[in-house]
Amino acid sequence: MTKHDKNLKGITRREMLVGSAVAGTGLVVGYSGLPGAVGGAREALAAGSWDHQVFLTMDNAGIATVHITKAEIGQHVGTALAQAVAEELEVDWNDVRIDYPDTEEKWGFMITGGSWSVNWTFDRNSRIGASARIALIEAAAKMMGVPAAQCSASNSVVTDSVSGSSRTYSQILSTTTIDRTFSEDEMKALTLKKFGEYKVVGKNIPALDIPDKLIGEARYGIDVFVPNMVYGRLVTNPTRFGAVPLSADDSAAKSIDGYAGVAVIKEDPTGVNTGYVVALGETYWAAEKAAAAMKVTWDSGPNANTSSADIVQAAKDSIADESQGFTWVLEGDPEGAMSKADTTVEAEYETSLGYHGLMEPINCVAMESNGIWHLFTGSQFQGRFTAMTAAALGVDGKNVVLHQQYCGTGFGRRLEPDGAIISALAAQQIGRPVKLIYTREHDLRFDFHQTHTVQRVKAGVNSAGKIDAMSHVVAAGWATKRMAPGFLAESVDKKGKIDQFSTNGSDHWYDIPNHYVRSVENTTAMAATPPGQLRAVAPTWTWWANESFIDEVAHKIGKDPLDMRLSMLSATGKNAGTPPNTVGGANRLRNALIVAAGKSGYGVKPMPENTAMGIASVASQERGSPSWTAVVAEVHVDPSSGEPTLKKITVAMDVGTAVNPDGVLAQIQGSALFGSSRVLHENVTMTNGAIDQGNFDTWTPMRIHQAPEIDVTIIQNGHYPAGCGEPVVTCVGPAIANAVFNASGARVRSWPITAEKIKAAQRGA
Amino acid sequence: MNEISVQIKINNNNYERNIKPNTLLIDFLRDDLGLTGTHSGCDTSQCGACMVLHNNSAIKSCSILVAQLNNQEITTIEGLQDKDKLHPMQNSFRNNHGLQCGFCTPGMIISAISLFNENNDPTEDEIRKYLEGNMCRCTGYQNIVKSIEEGAKDMREKG
Ligand code: FES
Ligand code: FES
Repeated sequence: MTKHDKNLKGITRREMLVGSAVAGTGLVVGYSGLPGAVGGAREALAAGSWDHQVFLTMDNAGIATVHITKAEIGQHVGTALAQAVAEELEVDWNDVRIDYPDTEEKWGFMITGGSWSVNWTFDRNSRIGASARIALIEAAAKMMGVPAAQCSASNSVVTDSVSGSSRTYSQILSTTTIDRTFSEDEMKALTLKKFGEYKVVGKNIPALDIPDKLIGEARYGIDVFVPNMVYGRLVTNPTRFGAVPLSADDSAAKSIDGYAGVAVIKEDPTGVNTGYVVALGETYWAAEKAAAAMKVTWDSGPNANTSSADIVQAAKDSIADESQGFTWVLEGDPEGAMSKADTTVEAEYETSLGYHGLMEPINCVAMESNGIWHLFTGSQFQGRFTAMTAAALGVDGKNVVLHQQYCGTGFGRRLEPDGAIISALAAQQIGRPVKLIYTREHDLRFDFHQTHTVQRVKAGVNSAGKIDAMSHVVAAGWATKRMAPGFLAESVDKKGKIDQFSTNGSDHWYDIPNHYVRSVENTTAMAATPPGQLRAVAPTWTWWANESFIDEVAHKIGKDPLDMRLSMLSATGKNAGTPPNTVGGANRLRNALIVAAGKSGYGVKPMPENTAMGIASVASQERGSPSWTAVVAEVHVDPSSGEPTLKKITVAMDVGTAVNPDGVLAQIQGSALFGSSRVLHENVTMTNGAIDQGNFDTWTPMRIHQAPEIDVTIIQNGHYPAGCGEPVVTCVGPAIANAVFNASGARVRSWPITAEKIKAAQRGA
Repeated sequence: MNEISVQIKINNNNYERNIKPNTLLIDFLRDDLGLTGTHSGCDTSQCGACMVLHNNSAIKSCSILVAQLNNQEITTIEGLQDKDKLHPMQNSFRNNHGLQCGFCTPGMIISAISLFNENNDPTEDEIRKYLEGNMCRCTGYQNIVKSIEEGAKDMREKG
């Protein structure tokens, strides 16, 4: 993983080629790897030496296909990215298509997550569209024998403003050869349209892939069938991580009709897990029965005695031990200021293990053919899948190709290549294609869960009622350390490396003159529950602590929580923000708070008994790429049972520019539900190294009859588009907890927020 | 295992097949007939992604054997259209952004049509109650409710 700004810089170092190999065959647009390494676009195409990242292809009918290297996980990102291209290309939207290519180097670095997709690629795609338009205008001008400067393009037609004659894109592409190279400087100098000038961006264009999904034609990974394949089903490992199969006795399985053998994998060099037993069958039924009949002797491994309580205790111990972990934020003199404080407030917050809860469980078809391994699955990190599967198989990475499928949700789970690796290893062992499908139980028990976290926050308030000092310790499993250690960040004192993606959010936008954040790796969590990235990642827990805590401080000193927040968002100094992503700084968070408060009737609307509102605001995902978000939750707490009912969520979110407002709205509604469900309904626990929950009867997400009313205001001001799929997830939790407190007097500091915890808090337990 | 012969009408096509008696409808649809629009999300009757219509009512294809449907008729998501024309309920899901990843969508649409067949003017509460068994992890459910309200209206008007 990399930060967005690196990526934006990376692309401008290269040349962009727009060209066609032979006259009348359309055009291809891509970046060259090295400036000047090849001839022009036409030469490269004709010689077959085109080795550039390809972003856009147009055929001679004028159909423009934008190649989407992001996974379609329900966010309809392809449509938004195509809108950015189409805007500058001046192409008729009816002629725009998208596709999801398989992995080859020409498609470049592929990853989906962190609300980055639109944020990363908007500028790049705009420039791709603009360069192709210019090449088309130049070609048309030549055809008409007029200067290009007096021609312009609109709706797939180039018109000469002097004579009024014109050429359609189709006419151009079916007759001429296009061969145009744009240097880095030329690419940078392209003038792009601005907010207010858009015709396609900002429009509610129905997602291009909706029709297929409505009629059952969209193909998900689980829908792939290949000749001669067998079904694979895991025999459940006794622990989440660390178990090794010693032997598998299939004598009982042999009598099952359609039994096709067993793959026993005692070692996975990639470390995705430590061993697997895969029962195979000609039908899914046979594989299922065979798995049940398999007698496996396991070495349960080093985590067989670890339970949730041990993970929490390890976190608490590491928080208490100040020598552990590294410094992430250090401003002013936190210790000195804390010792001079008038009042101090301290609290400890927890978040539970999180399950991604994919609708379509993990699956993959792996098949070898003529020395090439083919993987058919939906992936959010294609390069990681192919590289790690190649390593597991012991083959060259070039010989593994991933064929991207639709994803029945992703939420970061499909960054993990376990399905691909296990199906490929099983296929290698038995010499036939294997279609591995996790049962719901396996999907839940062998998830790369969101880590359990414990955080301790302390504030020193001065006599003027201002928070003068704040200290915050975050103890978590470090997913980045497991997945991509190269992306750990240097601590501020340069004493060690920090998982920034387990800590960010704690570097918030409030004015705190003396601020200290320490980040600690929970090694017990790391060993027993290999942590993954779950939608919204660290800000899910850091803002949970921040925003619950601000309310606690406000109540302690008798201030209104909204006023308290507004008084700390001066947008000065480091919180002033810088263009393009954070321009406006903390002022934008202020605005979001005011809008959410106003829309919900915060402090004004009469509330029924035992019902109250709670407010929270976040600048997720990262400090460098925030979507400024505020939420008001309205919650009823039953006075006798303590049962909390979420009535309504009001969201205000500043996304700068909404490329597809309808899509943004859908993402916000979805993330509001996702976050609410996580905080109120979902729980994952561990006993003796194994996950306790096994299906939707014990892991019980919020369903349609429990879902709150959701009121969304999207704030647009023409600034650079911000991601919208995750921030609300991080904001609903504390808003709900704050509302529960206001409705019942119970402060719940851990997830899920249940009736029992509310009653216990009311009793002062 | 001995095979048995079944006759079943799916989306107006007659199928006569020899199958194992323990074949689940969902596996028959997806693996044998290639009708992969009917999805499987849990296998244990808890998510609703696998719903198909049987006698105008939604049933979970993960929890019924093909043998139990001998000489009967079912409709899957692939059979709702009238040639190229979407069913009004499909159309309404499209117009109201009632889907994102689309994995729960076939089950949602089948369930919504089943609701309409019982109650052609459902309130929001009735919709939410009826769809308790259909899980969606992408949407906030709001657009699904809106889609069903409008789809039902359209179906009423078209008679
Ligand atoms: S697959 Fe049938 S209800 Fe989930
Ligand atoms: S649209 Fe993705 S699960 Fe419902």
